[in-house]
Amino acid sequence: MRRALLALLVVAVAGAVVFYVLTIPRTVPASELPAHKPDLANGEYMFTAGGCAECHATPEKKCNDPKTQDKHVLSGGRCLKTPFGVFNVPNISPDKEAGIGNWSTLDFVNALKRGIAPGGEHLYPAFPYTSYQRMTYADLIDLKAYLDTLPASKNVPPPHELGFPFNIRRGLGLWQLLYVDGKDFVPDPKQSAELNRGAYLVMGPGHCAECHSSRYLWGGIIKSEEFAGARNPEGKGTVPNITPSDDGIGDWSLNDISYLLETGNTPDFDVIGESMAAVQENMAKLTAADRDAIAAFIKALPARPDAVPKSEQKKKDAKDEDAAPGGDTKTGGSKEPDDGSDY
Amino acid sequence: MQKLMMVACTLVGLAAYATVAISAEDLVAAVKERRHLMKEVVAPNAKLGGQMVKGTVAFDTTKAAAAMNEISGVPDKYVKLFPKGTEHGAVKDSEAKATIWDDFDKFKATAQKLKDASAKAAGAAAQGQGTFTAAFNDMTKVCKECHETFREKLEQ
Repeated sequence: MRRALLALLVVAVAGAVVFYVLTIPRTVPASELPAHKPDLANGEYMFTAGGCAECHATPEKKCNDPKTQDKHVLSGGRCLKTPFGVFNVPNISPDKEAGIGNWSTLDFVNALKRGIAPGGEHLYPAFPYTSYQRMTYADLIDLKAYLDTLPASKNVPPPHELGFPFNIRRGLGLWQLLYVDGKDFVPDPKQSAELNRGAYLVMGPGHCAECHSSRYLWGGIIKSEEFAGARNPEGKGTVPNITPSDDGIGDWSLNDISYLLETGNTPDFDVIGESMAAVQENMAKLTAADRDAIAAFIKALPARPDAVPKSEQKKKDAKDEDAAPGGDTKTGGSKEPDDGSDY
Repeated sequence: MQKLMMVACTLVGLAAYATVAISAEDLVAAVKERRHLMKEVVAPNAKLGGQMVKGTVAFDTTKAAAAMNEISGVPDKYVKLFPKGTEHGAVKDSEAKATIWDDFDKFKATAQKLKDASAKAAGAAAQGQGTFTAAFNDMTKVCKECHETFREKLEQ
């Protein structure tokens, strides 16, 4: 009995040591940073391409309002309601206490390329460093310099509201082992400069795959289903498949994609909405050449069927609605009898 | 005189009845007509305009103007199709946000913007593709503004 207990203790200690080692924050050393004179104009461009304000600026009214207040005041406070719990987006304005005004350029690079905050704190990948890690040092240095020019805010958003085991930040080290290597995007020499630029913008700053791809239960993107659509991470419905398949946008021309990014209009003249509306407004501020490059890359993606059959998602939404306590009281008695038909 | 009074009373009563009792069928019909105007009138004409802007369909002054005029004819009819009780969730297929009724004047003003912008685009067609493109793109900004503010998109 005693021996068994001892063996158990040894296993537990060994496990703890392995966990400790595997989750040690892996950071970029200062020696890796190139000497680069920050280009504020490019920093602002990366700020737009990266959609920083869409998460970090204060939401207009409710904490999950798709619209934001002043896009230059990154005071945080947006709430992201996900299956893992509620993430309350932090203040990244240059305030020294409430924001990231005390961060060095190296600190900033480590957050974006490694998901590690100063002091070795692991960041949750709701902050899409899984994409930002592909950005070049030069672009990140420019972006940091630009963020430093924005107004400081004293706002202190509430902490995240996550259940066990997601509330243990250290555990993210294991996740980062799988999905974070901090390597720059590598251009494919066989492809055109335009396609490579598009790939960089989509896979790096644009972080398009983060919403348009399905994920495993533990939150990693399923590579074989990349860009083939996903459940809406923040609620009902789906995020569309943007691969050139029948389920996706196979019948869109390059021009159709560029035009959507510029104006928000689909080829059938529906207007895109929800969170993509804000993304599109950013894309509209990029150069026409960059929008065309993005279109070229999207058009060249492997064609894939929908990762989430739309019919299946509808059923799930209906079930969730039934299970919700109290149901929908807003519409009350005037609600039409729901025959469960297709809508 | 008595007869006149009776007729007047009946009329008043009927009017009151009409305003109070909008049947469930009427609400469903209003939503259906709204969707018809957007999907069968506005969208196809905007699509044609868009194709001329993108250059996938040859620019044609008359056709471009006609398409924009079709759109311009919609807003006045459209805003009359929003009786209370037709918001998203209350009637099947409704995409109307409840905020429409919080500030119905703002909703009407936005619809008026579409009427004006599409009429302007119709006029611009005579001045060539460049002028038309600018006016057309201004019009689609109104589409976006209104949808963002007042539309709750159905789950797909």
